[in-house]
Amino acid sequence: MPNYQLVYYNRRGRAELCRLIFHAAGVPFEDIRLDYTKGEWPGEWKAKAPFGQVPFLIVDGKMLAQTKAVARYLAREFNLAGKTSWDQARADMFIDEFDDISTEVYKFASEKDEAKKAEMSEKFYNETLPRHIGYLENLLKENNGGNGYLVGDSLTWAGLGIANAYDLLGGTDAPFENFPLLAGLIKRVRAHPKVAEWINARPQTPF
Amino acid sequence: MPTYKITYFNFRGRAELARLIFAAAGVPYEDLRIEMSRWPVEYKDQCPFGQLPLLEVDGKVLAQSKTIARYLAREFNLAGKDSREQALADMILDHYADIMNEMKVIWLESDAEKKATLVEKFKTETLSKHLGYLETILRQNGGGFIVGDSLTWADLMVVDSNDWLGVMFPNPYDNFPLLAGLVKRVREMPQVAEWIAKRPDTPR
Repeated sequence: MPNYQLVYYNRRGRAELCRLIFHAAGVPFEDIRLDYTKGEWPGEWKAKAPFGQVPFLIVDGKMLAQTKAVARYLAREFNLAGKTSWDQARADMFIDEFDDISTEVYKFASEKDEAKKAEMSEKFYNETLPRHIGYLENLLKENNGGNGYLVGDSLTWAGLGIANAYDLLGGTDAPFENFPLLAGLIKRVRAHPKVAEWINARPQTPF
Repeated sequence: MPTYKITYFNFRGRAELARLIFAAAGVPYEDLRIEMSRWPVEYKDQCPFGQLPLLEVDGKVLAQSKTIARYLAREFNLAGKDSREQALADMILDHYADIMNEMKVIWLESDAEKKATLVEKFKTETLSKHLGYLETILRQNGGGFIVGDSLTWADLMVVDSNDWLGVMFPNPYDNFPLLAGLVKRVREMPQVAEWIAKRPDTPR
């Protein structure tokens, strides 16, 4: 088994999907959390990072950057990417959609003008997000009625991706109130033994 | 061979990487370009997330431009020879997506003067840094192809980016000799050159 190090800050943020994949697969890794207030980042680490950013992965001394590229690499190594090339593409498709949703969240999360931030947040939660979730609910339903998985008949990183998005969207059931299949899926994934164990054990951070 | 169809607007836009992959691989496909007026009425409902581009493979659909391009690259052996090369290509794709997202914010700025300032700042500070990383990756890989030792979709990403970066920043690789060389070499490859010569000429 290769030696894995995941380098990020002490938060869920853009590394949590990778952490969920490691834990769901039961693969050990060094979960490096740098404290940038103490100069640990950039420190000696920035020079190692392919694009000068975190998160990045070190596998037996070789670097890989970009959250989704890293997560996909790990998912494929640990057989969590999907059983066929088509299933893998369908999983990728869901991950891209979650990424679109995250991008929207980061837009208002980083907005400094409080009034504008509140306006953007309200529009997101009332209009944008329900539209995205509606599409996801339909796609889930198309997969054997929607009481199983997003892709195929087993857990993939797409399922971990939506379970992770749950936390990004406030960690409550509220956004999924009118979308029972998706709410059920998220609950099932978060209750998966290794996932639940990690969710309970991980450092509690605001984001 | 399956039947392939790409549905998009009459732009290069978010479909062009997939079209370049089909061209480089020499695989035929239906290149459907629809009028804005026919969207959403005729097409939106077929789309998993209500957006284009859409790929149909023997009638099964796939959405999200990056996913579509990756699926095709993998099917046509243009994704990279092993899991690490494939991950490196994915990494470069994500890097270009970050650049594009940052440019979108500038593109949407309505104040013309503010926009001009943002464009200039982006060009001299941000873009040179982003492209500098890619020049380094190409240099460290020996300067021939950006991933591995043969053509992958990562090289086609560089070619495509020359066009979409060019919409806001003409000749984006002027200060990056290895990337500029890669763009030129790949554009001259027969199947790619043939596509570039015959594709509809659109502003973006």
